[in-house]
Amino acid sequence: MLTYVLKTLWRHRTRTLLTVTGAAVAMFVFCFVGSVQEGLTRLTTGDDADRSLIVFQENRFCPTSSRLPEDYSRKIRSVAGVKEVMPIQVWTNNCRASLDIVVFNGADPEQIQQTRPLELVKGSWESFRSQRDAAIVGRNVAQRRGLAVGDQFSIGDLSVKVAGVFASEVPSEDNLIYTSLAFLQYTRGLDAAGLVTQHEVLLEDDADPEVVASQIDATLRSGPVATTTRRKGAFQASTLSDLVDLIGFAHWLGYACVALVLSLVATTTVMSVQDRLKEYAVLQTIGVRPLRTMRLVLAESVILCVLGGLAGTILACGALALGGFAIGAEGATIAFRPSFGLLFSGALVSLVVGVAAGFAPAIQAASVPIVKALRQA
Amino acid sequence: MALVELHNVSKQFRKGDETITPLDEVSLQIEEGEFVSLMGPSGTGKSTLLNLVSGIDAPDAGSIVVDGTEVTALSRGQLADWRAANLGYIFQTHNLIPVLSAYENVELPTLLLKLSSAQRRERVELALDAVGLSDRAGHYPRQLSGGQEQRVGIARAIVAHPKVVVADEPTGSLDTETSEQIQALLKRLNRELNMTMLMVTHDSDVAAIASRQLLLDRGKFLDATAQTEAGRHAS
Repeated sequence: MLTYVLKTLWRHRTRTLLTVTGAAVAMFVFCFVGSVQEGLTRLTTGDDADRSLIVFQENRFCPTSSRLPEDYSRKIRSVAGVKEVMPIQVWTNNCRASLDIVVFNGADPEQIQQTRPLELVKGSWESFRSQRDAAIVGRNVAQRRGLAVGDQFSIGDLSVKVAGVFASEVPSEDNLIYTSLAFLQYTRGLDAAGLVTQHEVLLEDDADPEVVASQIDATLRSGPVATTTRRKGAFQASTLSDLVDLIGFAHWLGYACVALVLSLVATTTVMSVQDRLKEYAVLQTIGVRPLRTMRLVLAESVILCVLGGLAGTILACGALALGGFAIGAEGATIAFRPSFGLLFSGALVSLVVGVAAGFAPAIQAASVPIVKALRQA
Repeated sequence: MALVELHNVSKQFRKGDETITPLDEVSLQIEEGEFVSLMGPSGTGKSTLLNLVSGIDAPDAGSIVVDGTEVTALSRGQLADWRAANLGYIFQTHNLIPVLSAYENVELPTLLLKLSSAQRRERVELALDAVGLSDRAGHYPRQLSGGQEQRVGIARAIVAHPKVVVADEPTGSLDTETSEQIQALLKRLNRELNMTMLMVTHDSDVAAIASRQLLLDRGKFLDATAQTEAGRHAS
């Protein structure tokens, strides 16, 4: 019976192709929206987001406006529950939302190597440590900007030599460029000698992030600059709050894509069934059970939907893997990454939508009045 | 006991304000291996009776029993299973599935039975051979003539070795020469395979190939043989 279904789809190949293409485009968009949402979730949850704190200047948002004394790190280290403190100078080419944001994080190369979950895929730590203007570049930035080890990369007043390309367990980090702290502090325009944008705090395993954050702010209250300390995830969500609202709204776009696939495949299946009511009557006359007739129609709509859905999902995952896309604002970035979750949800949505789209026409085909349908010309 | 038994079967239709009664308490018995033709003017319920025997339509009153099974008591799903195992239906316009080849069309009913692929292949080949179309097995309906399409339709009706074959005007859309070939084929299948057949036709010459002829008029059976003779004398 599968031969019958496949041959029926092949016979109306233009209609089949148009439906499959439409479903593929809609599922492509669905997966892109899904990857943005996954990126946001990864940014605001997980070990890195929950078990580290960011100490930032109070009431400041853009990295250029937060100027904390570098030696705050010594005081922060004395707070109970703090395992490690890394002073970071941040520089970004754009404080507003952008799809091609470039963010430099200046920190001690030794500390970067020891505390960040990075793996150099090209280049060497030694050249990063030994050269003042050396930088290691996240693989997404390298991909987007076409950077390779040995290249000189300039943006604004900054010019660095690429000493390595890294991949990180934290996807948003793939959009960063790390330099040494001193290099970034002395960059023209920043005038940040002895100052940093933020302190990143790694917590002991048993430390309560909220308690430690309060203690840090209390400890630094006597200093020259007041601070606000938050979990890294909360800090990034707050930094990207405008984008978070937009991304929250974008999930409706994902639902709209699903509705589009549903409507497209349902229309095609309804048309196909209505064109062939007599055929279904003939099938039932020769002994095909109504339930089996339903399964034939459902198989048609599921094949259309799964073909289109999988094509769109695979294309989207391919584009996400190759494109290295990210959106960022105020120094924080959301990475769009393909994932098995995305692939699975794309396949599952296609399957469920295929069944839903075929359900009404399947009932129509199964309950066709046989005699009346056989009389049709 | 007859293979097909109709007991006081009635069927009515509503057409606007009018009630039409194509079958009015009709009773009929068909023995195993018998070839019965059913004639009558248009709209007198010939096809309705055929559809009732096939279980694709339900009577308003009365019962139909085929080979001991009360067809009128079966659900839609049970009827489908029953038709797959017991009934072959030859349509006037063959109604082949256009996307399937002749072989695949004939194979369809066998897919509904518990048969191995070898058994299925054997049955399909035998059926196609019986209608003389072994060399057209791979052809699609659009590549066949009207007569060949009807023969594929006949092969499809007999491939499951049904107890009863019903034929609704099987020669109605064919030219004279092809019609004669189909008549000969039906007669041969009845004789050689001992298939019980119930055929509806307008044509008294086609009806004459049957071993028994029935005439249906205004919902009742008339003496068909007498009617046929009267018709011949008048012409």
